[in-house]
Amino acid sequence: MTAIGSNTPAWRGRTTPGSKYLSLARTTLQQAIAYRITTFFNVGLTFIWVIILYYLWRAAYSGRASIAGLSWDQMRTYVVIAYGINALVGWRTGTAMMAAIRTGDVVFEMVRPLNYCTTQLARALGFTVVEGGISMIFTLVIGLVFLHIQAPATVASALLFVLALIIGFLTKVLVVFLVSLLTFWTLNGMGLMWSQQAIMQILSGTIVPLALMPGWLQFIAKVLPLRGIVSTPLEFYLGKSGGWDAVGLIGLQAIWLVALWIVANLAWKRAFRVVEIQGG
Amino acid sequence: MSPIVSAEGLVKQFRRPKKGPGLAGAVRHLLRPRHETVTAVEGVDLSIDEGESVAYVGPNGAGKSTTIKLLTGILVPSAGRVQVCGVRPHVDRQANARNISVVFGQRTQLWWDIPVLESFRLLGDIYSVPDAAYRRTMDELVDVLDLGPLLGVPARQLSLGQRMRCDLGAALVHSPRVLFLDEPTIGLDVAVKARLREFVGSMRAQRGLTVLLTSHDLGDIEELCPRMIMIDKGHIVYDGAFAEVTRRFGWEQKVVVTLADGATDAAARAGAALARVQPVIDETATGLVVTFDSRSISSGEVIKELAVALPVVDLALEETSAESIVRRLYEGNLTFHPADQEITR
Repeated sequence: MTAIGSNTPAWRGRTTPGSKYLSLARTTLQQAIAYRITTFFNVGLTFIWVIILYYLWRAAYSGRASIAGLSWDQMRTYVVIAYGINALVGWRTGTAMMAAIRTGDVVFEMVRPLNYCTTQLARALGFTVVEGGISMIFTLVIGLVFLHIQAPATVASALLFVLALIIGFLTKVLVVFLVSLLTFWTLNGMGLMWSQQAIMQILSGTIVPLALMPGWLQFIAKVLPLRGIVSTPLEFYLGKSGGWDAVGLIGLQAIWLVALWIVANLAWKRAFRVVEIQGG
Repeated sequence: MSPIVSAEGLVKQFRRPKKGPGLAGAVRHLLRPRHETVTAVEGVDLSIDEGESVAYVGPNGAGKSTTIKLLTGILVPSAGRVQVCGVRPHVDRQANARNISVVFGQRTQLWWDIPVLESFRLLGDIYSVPDAAYRRTMDELVDVLDLGPLLGVPARQLSLGQRMRCDLGAALVHSPRVLFLDEPTIGLDVAVKARLREFVGSMRAQRGLTVLLTSHDLGDIEELCPRMIMIDKGHIVYDGAFAEVTRRFGWEQKVVVTLADGATDAAARAGAALARVQPVIDETATGLVVTFDSRSISSGEVIKELAVALPVVDLALEETSAESIVRRLYEGNLTFHPADQEITR
């Protein structure tokens, strides 16, 4: 790693230029590792909600076999995995994007030969390896040891789950990115981050499954892309959706992903035109 | 040879929200937002040849940083044309990014929490620097900037001087053709400053690097930049040799007079003696400072008149340095008349 004391200087070890976005993801990962303790507590705290929701639902299920088509076993599983997925793209991804804009460090990303949106995806990927890894530990420990969650319904549903999870990850990063772009106009992001977090948790189905929402809200949630982040992968996991239904859900996710990608790039161009870098 | 950096009639205007004071002002702004247009750069023309080293100076808020941001593609001009290495920066930002590099004295482009070497490697990847070139550049940078002991240290643990050395190195990993330095020596001690200047000078000599430097430190300018462009309130007020400044604007001269004890009404008497050239006379504890326009009266004559009118103990003629001219410009005490501006380049 370091040049000190070795005969061959470390920079000579490089053999070929790496892919720039992978290299960015790796560097972000290294940076995220520097904050692993903070991240551990950030993720851990969100799992308090899992415990609260667990007891709420247990009370609701007493004397009932199923609510909105979900058995108690399935609901338990839903609650734990929903929070596990939610923690994949954590607080740091959004705050890092906003901080770059607020402090003006965004200039460096603008004077490099990089597509800004891809850069954000690459960085989110780096953060997610750490945040997602920690989230996975919590999900497995709490889910398997304490709350006894179910395994995926079938092998096919497990595969669909993973596919939907990946598209959902990209969707969430783009949504967070779009919200963070508002910082160019407001120049202060904390309020934005909080409201974004709250809205996303409701409409993605993290707090309650979409099936339990009142009709009008359910309609909104089903049309918007946010369901693809938590609800869609979980529908697959629990085996609630298969065949043409699954094709439809994945298709909707994919269409939204493409749309968000286009909007994100356009929004960045627009933000770029009004930009006023902070601090001279 | 066409210039490597050129701008014609470059204008940048910002729209700023206009808010009244206090909570009431904030609420009123929320209901009926008003904006005012601020012009940061107003019709700037630039022409810099490859390999030149140019100082870009002016008081705070004069439009220096805005110009740099226009040249680096960070800002989109409101009007006018700009070209760097044959590329229009805001149109093809990525192509421009490959040709240039920027160092900001007040920001770092190093990744804060990871060893410096990792930042260098990432930059090498971002600019797709081929392996042989990467090694050659790194060997050179590590040698000249003495980066060896710093490469394993996370950027946040570096002192300001060390950080600046690393930042300069990081800016050159992809061998840019144009280097923008925005107040690179701010806050650095004398020894580090000297070293950085030497480094930038040698890069320019060896690689033919074009350097555009903004600085408030005249030492930077004197040592690095034969040419100086001065901007004030969005307009270019001087473009020429640094040494020329004195000749062109140094017409204001000063005579410091020490008077014998008990001299009364000294200022009034001096004023009367020199009435025809309307000097500016300031009283000091020991005498007077007489400031006059050397185009309308010679210093010899001023001294002669003062010696006759007052009980003079000592006289000193103060030469106007480029530094004092720049300082007075910054303080707003020197206005450039259109007649002074015949740009000879």
